[in-house]
Amino acid sequence: MKKISVETMDSMKKEGVDTSKNWIKVGMSTCGIAAGADVVYATLLDEAKKRNIEVVIKKCGCAGKCFAEPLVEVNVEGLPRVTYGKVTAEVAVTILERHVRNKKLVKDYIFF
Amino acid sequence: MPHKIILVKDTGAVENKGVDFNTMLANQLRDSGAAEKASIVPVADIGVYDKGLVLRILPDNVTYSNVREADIKKIIEQTVLAGKIIEELSHDGRDKQLRIVLKNCGLVDPDSIDDYIRAGGYQGLRKALLELKSQDKVIEELKKSGLRGRGGAGFPTWMKWSTAKNQKTDQKYMICNGDEGDPGAYMDRSVLEGDPHAVVEGMIIAGYAIGASKGYLYIRAEYPLAVKRIEKALEDAREYGLLGENILESGFTYEMEIRLGAGAFVCGEETALIASVEGKRGTPKPRPPFPAVKGLWDKPSIINNVETLAAVPQILSNGGDWLAKIGTATSKGTKVFAITGKIKNSGLVEVPMGITLREIVFEVAGGLLNPEKKIKAVQTGGPSGGVIPKDFLDTPVDYENLGKLGSIMGSGGMIVIDETDCMVDLAKFYLGFCVDESCGKCAPCRIGGYQMLQLLNKISNGEGELADLDKLKRIAYAMQKASLCGLGQTAANPVLSTLKYFEDEYKAHIVNKKCPAGKCKYLLMYKIGEDKCKRCGVCVKNCPTQAISGNREKGFTIDQVKCIKCGNCTEVCKFEAVAKE
Repeated sequence: MKKISVETMDSMKKEGVDTSKNWIKVGMSTCGIAAGADVVYATLLDEAKKRNIEVVIKKCGCAGKCFAEPLVEVNVEGLPRVTYGKVTAEVAVTILERHVRNKKLVKDYIFF
Repeated sequence: MPHKIILVKDTGAVENKGVDFNTMLANQLRDSGAAEKASIVPVADIGVYDKGLVLRILPDNVTYSNVREADIKKIIEQTVLAGKIIEELSHDGRDKQLRIVLKNCGLVDPDSIDDYIRAGGYQGLRKALLELKSQDKVIEELKKSGLRGRGGAGFPTWMKWSTAKNQKTDQKYMICNGDEGDPGAYMDRSVLEGDPHAVVEGMIIAGYAIGASKGYLYIRAEYPLAVKRIEKALEDAREYGLLGENILESGFTYEMEIRLGAGAFVCGEETALIASVEGKRGTPKPRPPFPAVKGLWDKPSIINNVETLAAVPQILSNGGDWLAKIGTATSKGTKVFAITGKIKNSGLVEVPMGITLREIVFEVAGGLLNPEKKIKAVQTGGPSGGVIPKDFLDTPVDYENLGKLGSIMGSGGMIVIDETDCMVDLAKFYLGFCVDESCGKCAPCRIGGYQMLQLLNKISNGEGELADLDKLKRIAYAMQKASLCGLGQTAANPVLSTLKYFEDEYKAHIVNKKCPAGKCKYLLMYKIGEDKCKRCGVCVKNCPTQAISGNREKGFTIDQVKCIKCGNCTEVCKFEAVAKE
């Protein structure tokens, strides 16, 4: 990496954080990891590759809703952005298949 | 017309039991020929509580609360088919939270400096170094913003900075206090883990403002993930030229290092923290001289809390006036609380100053864990704070108001207490914590705390006398007046505030030898009620000390001498025949 210039900083700010259309974010702070977010994150990465589903999978910090960890926020083109709570490895796979591939919301796990 | 999605949260408030609401809604959708135009998705939580049945329709993003069977048709016709919003049903969805410090938590990847810059990061630093180009102007922005220390005492940040800036010396230091030790509080951890660059940027700006060339991040070793993420953040910032020599070509040079705390609560106190950074045993020193004049290695040093520093970059990039618009007359901006205890949605909330405790507990955090129980009090400020009884829940939260009520803002721990919690037990817990964590340097804290704990033990064991209450107060005042540092001065606060508001409860322990909440086990007695007992014998099998004797013909009794009051028998009894007295 090289020293960053003010111009680069400005153009990056203009682009914003979420540059891709389809993304998944997993809350990976201590509260999330304690509830099993690391397993969910690994499953998502693994299964997305295996099933050939194109989506950017990122980790992020604690969103504050610690009672519902692990939290997975999903943004897929054509659907409203939702956050799933109390996600397990199984639910993570359902999210990939149903939400990301088939563009349908997964029942019972949406928190807000 | 776009496809509608109806999110349904069944709060168990549907009239017309028998048919569930989703089926009803689906049937109506089909009957009105809208089945193709909308889909129903049941959700786990929708963020609206005690408002009956709640629906949210996307992409309109309109929320309807207290929905009844009769409303379904209207909702389908007007909102789903015609896209109109029904005013009388719509819920005021204004979020009571306001995220400034936690803005990036959950948004950016904490390990990626690019993400942080994309979210508008390091613009505050750039403004300070390349636009304001003056230490005084940076401090002026802080003064305008009215930012006060978020670590607990609420000292105006600009005043600290300006004192250090005016010291004429060859070397100054900037220190970040990440030694968060209050039981149940983890705001700093979440900020360090979720948005480490905000703290790093705040540290660089602060270092520039006071004229320091070196900064220390003091983080407790119990936060390994936070340490790892800060390390990565420092490394990346260095590579981008945002840390180190000649930052952003401005000529300002600044380095930073991490120091790990070894898990001593007293090291959150600034003079003890300084001793710990120097590599000495973490014990406090009398003030003055204040660290801003004579601190780390006898040089002027500023110590700010993680949350304070994380707010600094945005104050610079948005201007001080922006923060000054939020909050009350004396307390500006927002405060992060870690809300735990008998609460439905425990977690972190960031609210503007001036919000009431009732709003935080019942709206932001979803109300009590067991709605059938009554709220008794809210504890703020951890072991240095106090309890705020339910009668004062409508007080707006700011530094002054909480202080008047005998508690403090503190670093942001907030514990909700319901009627099953005993106040003597609570005071005992917090005091016990402070006794454990007392460094032992000064007598009032070392001896006073221990003596008070003995008195509280005596009371909760049923051996208390009324004179003990006066003794408690006398020792508490002595500790407040004579202790060397904040730990000892505030250690008695939980006892004093529970005594102030819940003296009746103390007296019940002393005079009636009863614990009204049923928590103090020496004042309890388990008894089997003859009328309710079905003589099944389950309690006998589950008693760890064989204290229950008898047989299925004659019934069972508990031997009070053998009983250790574990409560197993109450839990296993299906007929609620074992009562606590």
